[in-house]
Amino acid sequence: MKKFYSNKLAIVLFAFPALLVFTVMVFYPIVQAFVKSFYEWNGLGSGTFIGFDNYTKLFGDTVFKLSNKNALIFALVITVFQMTLASIFALVVSNKKVKGRNFLRVAYFIPVVLSVTVVCQLWLAILNADTGLLNAIFKALGINYEQNWLSDRHHAIYVIAFVNAWQWMGYQFALMMAGIKSIPNDYYEAARIDGASTLQAHSKVTIPLLKETYKICLTISLTGGVKAFTEMFIMTKGGPGNATYTLTYLMYKAAFREYRYGYGMASASILVIQCLVIILVINWLFRDKEDRRESRWSKKTGQVK
Amino acid sequence: MKRIMAFAMSIILCLFMFIGCSSKTEDETTPDTTSPSETTTESATETLPEGVLSNEEATLSIYAQYSDDDTKVPYDYAVEQLKTAYPNVTLNLEVQAQDDGQKLMTYAATGNLPDIYQVALAQIENFKQSGNIMVLNDVAEATGFKDKVFESAQNILYNEDGNIYAFPYAGNEYVMWYYNKAIFEKYNVEVPKTFDELLTAIDTFNSNGITPMAIFGSEGWITSAMFDVLATRWDAGGIAKLDNGEGSATEDAYVNAAKMMNTLVKAGMFQGSAPTTNYDQASQMFLNGEAAMFLNGQWYMTDATTALGQDVDWMYYPSYDEASYEAGKTAWSGGGAAAGYAVNPDSKHAQLAAEVAAFLSEKYCEAKVMYRGTPLVALDVDVEPQTEFPAMMQKLQADLPGITSITKFDWHLSNATFKTALEDQTKYLLVKDYTPEEVIKELDNSLN
Amino acid sequence: MEQKNWTGKIGKVLFRAFCWFYAGISLYPVIWLIFYSFKNNSEIFVTNPFGVPTILHWENYQKAWSQYNVPMYFTNSLIVSIITVILTIILALLFSYATARMQWKGRNTAKIYMSLGMFIPIQAILIPVAKLVNGLGLDSTRTGLILVYTAINLSFATLVYYGSLKALPVELEEAACMDGANIFVCFFRIIVPLVKPATATLVIYIFLNAWNEFNLANVLVVQERLKTLPLGLLFLQGAFTTDWGAMGATMVIASLPTIILYCIFSKKVEGAMTIGGAVKG
Repeated sequence: MKKFYSNKLAIVLFAFPALLVFTVMVFYPIVQAFVKSFYEWNGLGSGTFIGFDNYTKLFGDTVFKLSNKNALIFALVITVFQMTLASIFALVVSNKKVKGRNFLRVAYFIPVVLSVTVVCQLWLAILNADTGLLNAIFKALGINYEQNWLSDRHHAIYVIAFVNAWQWMGYQFALMMAGIKSIPNDYYEAARIDGASTLQAHSKVTIPLLKETYKICLTISLTGGVKAFTEMFIMTKGGPGNATYTLTYLMYKAAFREYRYGYGMASASILVIQCLVIILVINWLFRDKEDRRESRWSKKTGQVK
Repeated sequence: MKRIMAFAMSIILCLFMFIGCSSKTEDETTPDTTSPSETTTESATETLPEGVLSNEEATLSIYAQYSDDDTKVPYDYAVEQLKTAYPNVTLNLEVQAQDDGQKLMTYAATGNLPDIYQVALAQIENFKQSGNIMVLNDVAEATGFKDKVFESAQNILYNEDGNIYAFPYAGNEYVMWYYNKAIFEKYNVEVPKTFDELLTAIDTFNSNGITPMAIFGSEGWITSAMFDVLATRWDAGGIAKLDNGEGSATEDAYVNAAKMMNTLVKAGMFQGSAPTTNYDQASQMFLNGEAAMFLNGQWYMTDATTALGQDVDWMYYPSYDEASYEAGKTAWSGGGAAAGYAVNPDSKHAQLAAEVAAFLSEKYCEAKVMYRGTPLVALDVDVEPQTEFPAMMQKLQADLPGITSITKFDWHLSNATFKTALEDQTKYLLVKDYTPEEVIKELDNSLN
Repeated sequence: MEQKNWTGKIGKVLFRAFCWFYAGISLYPVIWLIFYSFKNNSEIFVTNPFGVPTILHWENYQKAWSQYNVPMYFTNSLIVSIITVILTIILALLFSYATARMQWKGRNTAKIYMSLGMFIPIQAILIPVAKLVNGLGLDSTRTGLILVYTAINLSFATLVYYGSLKALPVELEEAACMDGANIFVCFFRIIVPLVKPATATLVIYIFLNAWNEFNLANVLVVQERLKTLPLGLLFLQGAFTTDWGAMGATMVIASLPTIILYCIFSKKVEGAMTIGGAVKG
């Protein structure tokens, strides 16, 4: 078995093509961007090397601190929202007894199919302080909770995070559906025979078995939150003022609106480092299962030998 | 068998790379290399028929705005005229993206700049450092473009360093404070001369469910313009003075302007959704009679007159007292800058492209006068407007000779860091709990 | 006991209601977009942002259709998206198999290295990527765009594949191994069918990503004949004013096919998922 899995030719043939495409098309540009973060550079010409100046300036920038705070809020909101709802809906829809499950399955995924532009325009209309649907509903219900949803200095970021979370929930839902589908039915039956209710069966059987799926979903949500950009760009342009800036928006502003490309790249580099840390932490948090698998694996290979 | 498939997959990848290289040859926009540019111009000049400026054969790529009547009408007209003057020149239009110049910047970085492209001032400042923009002094001289520029628009032709980098078509333009006369009359509101009167008017409108002024706060340029309008009441230099590095954001004029804007916002001058309102949304509010006032450039006169007819007019900017209101009538927010059609110095037909760019700019001016109801163009063109200028424009024209001072539009600012801070901070001012002190502090930071 | 049963039932009804309510909110944008595409700026922003259009402005569609060569843009989008999907799926599955199953030093590092692509904001690498595509001589081809799309989607696809491979029991492959099949046979005969659920979700995801992508296409596609659908919006967005109704029509033209396709194929996707489960169980 060990020989089976250490076929050198196979490893090269399997891993190399993807590594090649990725290295050339993405990693090489990333390195270039990283190098430029040590330069004072306007995006054209050659620029001058200034060492860590961009980073020093960045750490002193008030917008940088705000961006980090916003990224944190954004990541938390979408993680909680998406993972909770996606789990619930995936369990409901995968239950064969639920009526209209096919319809629900399609419906939950629809926002993912639409382009971000459409979704943002829709929510701009709904959240509009004067003509918006949401305020109209509050008014009709007689609840005095009308707000300037997107132009509140302190809360706009939550609202934008919600829009992002709402749109991409469907994707996590689909991933979880795929995960649930690949859990053999006899696992449930075993749990059922033991007298567990649906809820118990799910919490004891389904959710632990979805660990890998949850790991993926968590990675998507957190990194997606940290690098959020498009919603801000379309809905608030980082505003009011710079209240909804994120690191990506800061990078964009510096590189394309101020022609301070090097400074922007410093911001992008910090972003990548943050995401890397997140990935490593997630890997560490979920490590036990892999370790177990690993030990089981070596036991098996021993047998084969 | 399976092994072969795996091999095949990795080979496919390499193949893709090569296919790319080979198919580049069928590129259709590659300028025609068969026409020897220099020789044809020389020999052709003697035998050119009437109205033809050059027989040279070329396909020029051009990157220009082409999305609404204000950009389509002049472009189409210019292309039509080009057929007569340059019968063998074909233009390959690429429509400009509203992407903060990302595309143009990338083209410049990759050496893919189109032969002719539209630029704003900040882009010129950036491109001239890296040699991506052609100096057009000689062409402006040779084509007679220079002589046609209005005396009052010389600021639009020359860059600060004394060179010409772009052929302008827009003249000095102005920020107009529009108002709906019918609404003012209906609620018995006098046109405000002072901020106190303005605040009273705001109260009256608000209590009657009318938005006092619609503003498209999702765009930084209009909030910057509002700030500039207010600042010019105390210091005619406005934001232009800061952009030129001649003043400090902590001066009274700017502090007062920020405070006044904050006061107006708190009084409810703008619609609640102001920070996320886009241009069309705010414009519709004004045109539908839901907002009593509107701030925009003078180019809006045609649209406003079409929709509101006699009901729309513009007023002088209110000021802190009546004396300064009267004195301030000649100090305007707005202006112009050296921007317009620029040329890629590395173009295969750089010389011809420069001539064509000058030609296009001139034709733009003609089209704007003839079909777009504005005499505020860069060149003194000898054409008659198809329809009479709107009454508001005639009123402005009467004022033009007396104007003593203008500032700059946001997109004409040359200090990109200041421009960005100004856009963000003035947008921030639309939020009630953002303080004028914060604005001044951030603006000051951006200037140092 | 009685009491508990009763509250449980109410809870159940409320829960079902919530599920259907949420589904309604998820479907609403499609209806809203279709209404939107028949309105003019005045209705969209002031008089009637949510209701049924009072007058059907068919000219929005006429305008959207006449601004640019819609069938050509559409075909281009289709070609680019389909090839991106195929390429990404093949490369990602091969790579994930190598990192999830095979024994070699640095496979963990390789896995994390590959996930880098998920974090990088596109705008940060816009200029370097454009320079690269230019340098490789791919600037007037579809290949450049396809390769960049593939590379960017690889990160996510390998992550998903890695997860589903890790969840598969090793026993199945061991059985094949005992039969004397080599690793390639094992991969194509056993692994490829087993990861169908993941493939199905990835196909949709990658396709949509490529189909809706604007930033890279805006910068990398110079030639008219290679332009993709999202670039059509440029013809309607002015420096000041935008024709929002026509924008809506453009977005309907661009996204309705994907919605219909999804509705048709979602049944198949479901099927694909179940087969995967069945083989395994």
